[in-house]
Amino acid sequence: MARRVIIIGADAAGVEAASAARKKDRTAEITLVTQEKNAGYSRCGLPFVIGGHISNFSDLIVYPPAYFQMLKLNLRNETKATAINTKEKTVTIVDKAGATEVLPYDSLVIATGADSFMPPIKGKEKPGILSLRGIEDGEKIVAAVKAGAKSAVIMGAGLIGLETGVALIERGLTVTVVEMLPQILPQLLDADMAKQVQDHLQEKGMRILTSKSVEEFLGEDTVTAIMAGGEKIEADLFISAFGVRANTKLAVEAGIPLGETRAIKTNGRMETDVRDVYAVGDCAEAPNIFTHRPICAQLGTIAVRQGKVAGTNAGGDYALFTGILASAVTRLFEIEAGATGISETAAARNRIEVITGAISSKTKADYYPTAKPIKVKLIVEKESQRLIGAQIIGGEEVTQRINALSFAIQKQMTVRELAKADTAYAPPLCETWEPMVLAAEMVLMKLR
Amino acid sequence: MVKVEAYEVPEGLYYSKDFEWIKIEGDKVRMGITDYAQKSLREIVYAELPSAGAEVKQGEPYGTLESVKAVSDLVAAVSGIVEAVNDEVQSKPETLNEDPYSKGWLLVVIPTNLQAELANLMDFNQAVEWHKAQAQSK
Repeated sequence: MARRVIIIGADAAGVEAASAARKKDRTAEITLVTQEKNAGYSRCGLPFVIGGHISNFSDLIVYPPAYFQMLKLNLRNETKATAINTKEKTVTIVDKAGATEVLPYDSLVIATGADSFMPPIKGKEKPGILSLRGIEDGEKIVAAVKAGAKSAVIMGAGLIGLETGVALIERGLTVTVVEMLPQILPQLLDADMAKQVQDHLQEKGMRILTSKSVEEFLGEDTVTAIMAGGEKIEADLFISAFGVRANTKLAVEAGIPLGETRAIKTNGRMETDVRDVYAVGDCAEAPNIFTHRPICAQLGTIAVRQGKVAGTNAGGDYALFTGILASAVTRLFEIEAGATGISETAAARNRIEVITGAISSKTKADYYPTAKPIKVKLIVEKESQRLIGAQIIGGEEVTQRINALSFAIQKQMTVRELAKADTAYAPPLCETWEPMVLAAEMVLMKLR
Repeated sequence: MVKVEAYEVPEGLYYSKDFEWIKIEGDKVRMGITDYAQKSLREIVYAELPSAGAEVKQGEPYGTLESVKAVSDLVAAVSGIVEAVNDEVQSKPETLNEDPYSKGWLLVVIPTNLQAELANLMDFNQAVEWHKAQAQSK
């Protein structure tokens, strides 16, 4: 009998799992269940549709209907998985019309993602607070802009909050960002690096309030203002970007254990504590490569890598997930910011002793007219002298440097080895001394 | 040729709902995959095709296409006996991405039931409408 694979969720992790399962098992019956109308689209692209860089939300669909048909993937959209029975090995689903079905599985992949999180703030039940998680959320924001919204308050200065803030400024709105912590991009950057990004955003007209909590939503029928740090801020548009929380309800109700991050616990095969049940993407936790402690970094690249591993295993083959460095990049107006591995802040929290080094340089030869600034910060573990983290902000060419440093961390490179790296050079493309190498030399000087 | 969204649909071909096209060339039929199919699969890295002399049947699989992330059956748009196989797509599968309607043809077959089977295929106008519907349902 053909192997039956069910995948709950049809976004980055789910579709990747389905594709990998199909590659390994050509005859399996593979079913994807998603509550959304659209499957297989890029959430990460949403802010760039709002900003007008991409014409339509439908352009974000990475996997068109033909993909599912060609791979013989049975896509059940606008359908909700309501229960998992791990003993009987079944999933109960309810479609849009309310019809219930019980589907048996041999392998199950939970890719239920994460939902926008709303802290317990007074007045949070009032209508008029938008978020940005799916295409429908994006459409609401665009509709509000088209209806004449002139100002926006964004609550949360993470990647989504800031990218959305930039998009709305590009659409002509005045934007205020409120962040509870003392710095922006707290998951990505240390405070010293974040400050430079914040300066750039403020120069571009973004108002940023750090160390300020949203205390209350004000307004009669709908939200018209917030109280933050004792200040009343009125706006036409309110966007909640407090962050997301792993969507684990189905798993918990089925008795599938969560881990210490409150996301679904997994092993190296991305299998949960229940045999033949896998969990991937924003709803699952997995170990950090360096600390070996579980994290739930909720990034698209992690989702697809985990999806591929789980799908391969669900399809009867074998694959292991190597762990997370949480490499990430963003572009905010003319500045790119990226990070990989452990920040100085996270190292302190984990009581890992580090030496850091930072260098400001240029992306091309200093004399070359279009050279842009770039700053590289390295975080090195003191005893082993291994590189464990890196952060870069600059005018261009950040991504591939972050990738190179991610490879270096994964291969357990020491800062001494990095300082001797053999790099390329041509004046219109880069500096003679690669900024990553200079930053490594900075760390070596401190180690002397 | 027209473009439906990002997908090319040339005139003068017949199309199947399994993402194949055929071109009638005298008493032979040339077949391949559509632009929509290659764009959905993306970087195609392997094409498994039958040999000359093999028989293919309308609506049934006759080969496989594999991309970096996906694998898909090739489903015959018409029945017939394979007369020629495109060696180039086997040695250079990226030809299917670069030029699916010309250099990326897959088979030439001698059809065995063409007139009856054409009724199961879409002509140019029908194919344009069908591609539009596919793009809509995105």
